[in-house]
Amino acid sequence: MEWNQETLQFLSQCFLHTLSPSPAPRRQAESSLADAADRPSFALAVLRLVAEPSVDEQIRQAAAVNFKNHLRTRWAPASPAPDGSAADGAAAAAAAPIPDPEKEQIKALIVPLMLSSSARIQSQLSEALAVISKHDFPKQWPALLPDLVANLQKASQASDYASINGILGTADSIFGKFLYQYKTNDLLLDLKYCLDNFAAPLLEIFLRTAKLIDETASSGQAVNLRPLFESQRLCCRIFYSLNVQELPEFFEDHMPEWMGEFQKYLTTRYPVLESSGPDGLVLVDELRAAVCENISLYMEKNEDEFKDYLDKFASAVWSLLGDVTQSSSRDRLAITAIKFLTTVSTSVHHKLFESEGVIQQICQSIVIPNVRLREDDEELFEMNYVEFIRRDMEGSDLDTRRRIACELLKGIATYHKAEVTAIVSAQIQNLLSSYAANPAANWKDKDCAIYLVVSLATKKAGSNAVTTDVVNVESFFTSVIVPELQSQNVNEFPMLKAGALKFFTLFRTQIAKGITMQLFPDLVRYLTSECNVVHSYAASCIEKLLLVRDEGGKARYTSADISPFLMVMMNNLFTALRFPESEENPYIMKCIMRVLGVADISQGIAAPCIAGLTSILNEVCKNPKDPVFNHYLFESVAVLVRRACEKDASLISSFEGSLFPSLQTILANDVTEFFPYAFQLLAQLVELNRPPIPANYMPIFEILLSPDLWNRGPNVPALVRLLQAFLQKSPNELSQGGRLSQVLGIFNKLVLSASTEEQGFFVLNTVIENLDYSLIVPYIPHIWHALFTRLQNRRTMKFVKSLLIFMSLFLVKHGPSNLVDSMNAVQPNIFVMILEQIWIPNLRLIAGNVERKLTVVASTRLLCESPFLLDAAASRHWGKMLDSIMTLLSRPEEDTLAEEADAPDVAENVGYTATFVNLHHAGRKEEDPLKDIREPREFLVTSLARLAALSPGKYPQIISENLDPANQNALLQLCSTYNCPIV
Amino acid sequence: MADDASLLRRDPIKSSVGNVAAQRRRRQAVAVGKERRESLVRAKRFCRIGVSGSANGEGDGEGDGDGDVSPDIDMVVDEEQSVLEAQTSSAVEELKAAIAYQGKGAMQKRVSALRELRRLLSKSEFPPVEAALNAGAIPILVQCLSFGSPDEQLLEAAWCLTNIAAGKPEQTKALLPALPMLIAHIGEKSSLPVAEQCAWALGNVAGEGEELRNILLSQGALLPLARMMLPNKGSTVRTAAWALSNLIKGPDSRGATDLIKIDGVLDAIVRHLKKADEELATEIAWVVVYLSALSNFATNLLVKNDVVQLLVERLATSSSLQLLIPVLRGLGNLVAGDTNTTHTLLLPGSEVTDGVVKVVVKCLKSEHRVLKKEAAWVLSNIAAGSVEHKRLIYSSEALPWLIRLVSSAPFDVRKEVAYVLGNLCVGPTEGDARPYLIQEHLVSLVGGGCLSGFIDLVRSADTEAARVGLQFIELVLRGMPNGEGLKLVEREDGIEAMERFQFHENEDLRNMANGLVDKYFGEDYGDDELAG
Repeated sequence: MEWNQETLQFLSQCFLHTLSPSPAPRRQAESSLADAADRPSFALAVLRLVAEPSVDEQIRQAAAVNFKNHLRTRWAPASPAPDGSAADGAAAAAAAPIPDPEKEQIKALIVPLMLSSSARIQSQLSEALAVISKHDFPKQWPALLPDLVANLQKASQASDYASINGILGTADSIFGKFLYQYKTNDLLLDLKYCLDNFAAPLLEIFLRTAKLIDETASSGQAVNLRPLFESQRLCCRIFYSLNVQELPEFFEDHMPEWMGEFQKYLTTRYPVLESSGPDGLVLVDELRAAVCENISLYMEKNEDEFKDYLDKFASAVWSLLGDVTQSSSRDRLAITAIKFLTTVSTSVHHKLFESEGVIQQICQSIVIPNVRLREDDEELFEMNYVEFIRRDMEGSDLDTRRRIACELLKGIATYHKAEVTAIVSAQIQNLLSSYAANPAANWKDKDCAIYLVVSLATKKAGSNAVTTDVVNVESFFTSVIVPELQSQNVNEFPMLKAGALKFFTLFRTQIAKGITMQLFPDLVRYLTSECNVVHSYAASCIEKLLLVRDEGGKARYTSADISPFLMVMMNNLFTALRFPESEENPYIMKCIMRVLGVADISQGIAAPCIAGLTSILNEVCKNPKDPVFNHYLFESVAVLVRRACEKDASLISSFEGSLFPSLQTILANDVTEFFPYAFQLLAQLVELNRPPIPANYMPIFEILLSPDLWNRGPNVPALVRLLQAFLQKSPNELSQGGRLSQVLGIFNKLVLSASTEEQGFFVLNTVIENLDYSLIVPYIPHIWHALFTRLQNRRTMKFVKSLLIFMSLFLVKHGPSNLVDSMNAVQPNIFVMILEQIWIPNLRLIAGNVERKLTVVASTRLLCESPFLLDAAASRHWGKMLDSIMTLLSRPEEDTLAEEADAPDVAENVGYTATFVNLHHAGRKEEDPLKDIREPREFLVTSLARLAALSPGKYPQIISENLDPANQNALLQLCSTYNCPIV
Repeated sequence: MADDASLLRRDPIKSSVGNVAAQRRRRQAVAVGKERRESLVRAKRFCRIGVSGSANGEGDGEGDGDGDVSPDIDMVVDEEQSVLEAQTSSAVEELKAAIAYQGKGAMQKRVSALRELRRLLSKSEFPPVEAALNAGAIPILVQCLSFGSPDEQLLEAAWCLTNIAAGKPEQTKALLPALPMLIAHIGEKSSLPVAEQCAWALGNVAGEGEELRNILLSQGALLPLARMMLPNKGSTVRTAAWALSNLIKGPDSRGATDLIKIDGVLDAIVRHLKKADEELATEIAWVVVYLSALSNFATNLLVKNDVVQLLVERLATSSSLQLLIPVLRGLGNLVAGDTNTTHTLLLPGSEVTDGVVKVVVKCLKSEHRVLKKEAAWVLSNIAAGSVEHKRLIYSSEALPWLIRLVSSAPFDVRKEVAYVLGNLCVGPTEGDARPYLIQEHLVSLVGGGCLSGFIDLVRSADTEAARVGLQFIELVLRGMPNGEGLKLVEREDGIEAMERFQFHENEDLRNMANGLVDKYFGEDYGDDELAG
């Protein structure tokens, strides 16, 4: 793309239209740009447009955004396609990378351009620069840092803080990698390079700005102070990046300068700036927070070098915290400052807290004020219940004042437990008395008390030690929590109700069953609260209660316990899903799943539930939003179908009637997010049917064999599962119409790619396990051919193990001679080769109970039945095979289970794109193909004893010649255990 | 989850967490932090009292460069810096004039001009190096080093250069034109004092950095310096050893490998470690540190020649921190080296091994943080060895110390100790199989209360510390009997510590932490819930 008037016109027009409110010109412009992006020098042309002063600012800004995004996808050199790409199919044919000469031109232009741009464009270009540096800095871009330093010095001479801050911001983002990468020699070399070039200029500008601040703080104008504080904040962040890996020599040598300024910012007030509107204070606080992070880092990692400064900083932070009011704009400062004190409290310098009254004072003036509810919390509670719960209940409150204040208490308790406990207990009593004096006015005191108990509990749910030292749980529950739960108005003081429900949930194992059962109707009642947090917490509490197990693993609450409330509970749960903003409430849906998993599913329950669930399903199909909600929805359907049919198999057809339309909608409307779920549900339905499978499944079977579906990675495990179900339930349909060859075609495709080879073996194993030998005979040469080719091309450990398991399954189902002969038919003597190179050396690596049993039995049968191995000439092979079997058998199961090879991540977290997520309740039980054999060890020695009896004296010798002494011993022991001597 | 087998499908597979180091860890060859040796012995040394300070040149009169020796008697320390600079400029001018002068007493004139300049460069805490350079001292000093010059002149010139080289990086680099002559004068034909002073200047140059080291190596400084180190005693030997330790620092391994190949060097190292006084032994130990850090070849030779035993001997008998630090680090490098060598050497039960463990434990108990840290590092490498090695440490008196240190020591010590404890709990790697877990050790360490220390490391801003913390949590979750690990980790707030990585930028840590939380505390966890 040549840079001329025409290009300028074209690009300007496009970017202008991308800002258009009407969709047609916007889409047109976006597609023209997308086309143009493939032309050479596109990025350069866009950058030139950004630099063109005659062009309207908003067009240039849009161009800058486009430039940055263009670089994101195209700066990195094209990586070779990963070998598993077949399954990822459509997943983005990578955009062509920017050619090197163009890159060089961009690198030459971008720094001066960024520095001369307006603030908004500058921030875009700074990000673009960060993208480039991520790949190129420092080795491919040696000019950058010296360039930045030179510009910094120039700007510093001119006190041009727009440029200074632009440069510092850029430096901050290119040094960001030191924050998270592992310490390798390469990283340290880069760090050293950055330090050599930047440490001194950084200190210089930091001190220079500090001096300017000192001179103008009281006399100057806020508008002039602003950039100075911004500049210092950036310096502090760079300080952190450069110090996080280890304490660099330069910084150690210049600690006095740095620490002196740091301390100044924590202890000095800047009234001119702080009173110049709310963001004036924010600006100063951000600098202070950055300082707190730096001193926390030093405190944590360099306590020795830092210890001389500690006292002064501790008292500075302390008095600062006294000033930090409850206003949420000072949150970050409060949090970083408290974190610093927490670090000190758990460090070797914890003695700082030992002085008389210190802990008491911390509790009163720092902890309690920060734990108390603030208006912001109330607002969040009402406006954004999801976020509130995430913070309040699920531990995403790492960066809230409430949480961090409690962390400080816990920190101090590390070395001063008794004192902390006593003080907190007393505080809680105070809060409760204050509440008792005037509940309506002082309800926040009660909330604060509950919060303290919950947060300081030695443990959250679940473990043996859910306990707290600060109050007696039972009496606190009876006197403080139960009255809330029994309150008749479910909508009154919702935050207190939520606190009480949370307490109940967290201490659920501590509360006796009798008391819980009395409160159960109240929990059910709270499902009808209008408040989203309250009905969510009620649902969550019920859900967690149903999981409580007593010693011995028996569920504490059974179907009988909940059956009196079941009808009204289900009704309330489905009703709760109709409250505004709770239409896709995951806590409610999870509770539905759990209840259905426990309750007695009568037809009276099943019918309304399946109706309710399918109508929700039809609704979410239109626009899948919350993947967690959707997951529990499908789990609920699966568990309902499974448990109802377990009780009454005839219900299957009514479920089919309800679900088929929804499942068809998913397939027909291409709701790809739900495909994996739909296939799993279908598989479950197929399995629950008695053969013959109803005719209405057959179209699905046809769909299943269409290669397109298999191209989408996340579908594959679910499709395999469905295919297995079909193969097991109706093997005969398979032999018709060339379907078997289609199935094997799928196997072939899957086994070629490392990411799906495992799935390929599932298909193959199912075929081998379920079909008559006569049906598969014609295909066997193709199967071996495919497997051996793959083995030759890429022999991964995982493939080898899968192959070994497949051969074993083949052997136990169709006999050793079929196995050996069919292999040798593909290539003479290949069986011996496989035996030597694959079977014997890798047998010991097989993991999993079923798999170990299968391979041991198959190997034993080879030893005792294969003419090749029984031949005297093969006695060494015979011995080595037995040695391998013994090695496998003597490895503890836990060991082999712990082994994990290069497994594909078929399931990441539940995400917004279609991923495969296993439906727990639609899962199949592992089936043992060798149910009639109890114990593989016994099978081994009885078979060997029988064989040995035929030619006495032959085998003991082979054994002593070929088996490792430890294995010989183990074998002897086995023989005596089962009383089967090998003679 | 161990779903390798493909017969039947199980739950989805999460990425593996891997194991605590499970192999020996070499030190990073790149130093960013202040070199700890520098707080004790500086990489560049300022020369206040010349090598020939006492009349015979062989005496003990020279400074150890630490900056705190008693100054020249005639020294006036309080002179104004500007005065000093002015004097220096004129001293350089004087020297130029003296060189230009060809008449009677020319030699005397040159020497006294040189002496004046040297005096100015040696007297102040802040020597006027910049002034000397600006006045053009280098070319003129190089001229003074020309062949055939009297020893006194060479000595004074080299001394001036030594102190110029002890300055800032740019000042050290200014010596570039002088290097060939300095190297020429450390040959065998030079008098000892001259050779030593030149070696000192070269040592300062080598201490500056990789670039200058490479130049010195390519100009052939290594061989003559190495020969200076061969005799049994004397300050020359010490100065040469110090200069060599600077010269082979790398990060390129060429210098180290070349040095050990020079005839007599290995023998001299062994001899000095065996017999030399602590001062010389200290310098030699630093040579061993860099040889073993950079060159596998050297490491093998050192191990074969019983250097491990000699280092152990020194550790057992000395209480000098200056000596203990390099000796311990050298020992650590040798242990971290080639696995086979150390396997054959550190046979559990053998005298050497017991000795090593004993002296390392002694250092672990020391009050000095650097020693503690080095000791823990050595132990972590022994603990990465065979099961027998693990048992040895496990049953040594180090264990209670380690458990205490992992929660209460300064950060860098805690991190090293964490590697030791982690390595004690996993078996050695064999082939492609993952190392197995040594449950007995794990149970007893966790019982001793070490888990909270690891969880603290997970919370740290340091990615490596976080990794070793997560790996240990994984062992606890997987390996503690009866699923007790889940409760322990939860009780120590481990879940919350792991959840910090939910969106961490380090992909490895993120996957590890998320995988553990999902696997052990995901949906299924509730199903195993037990009541109190």
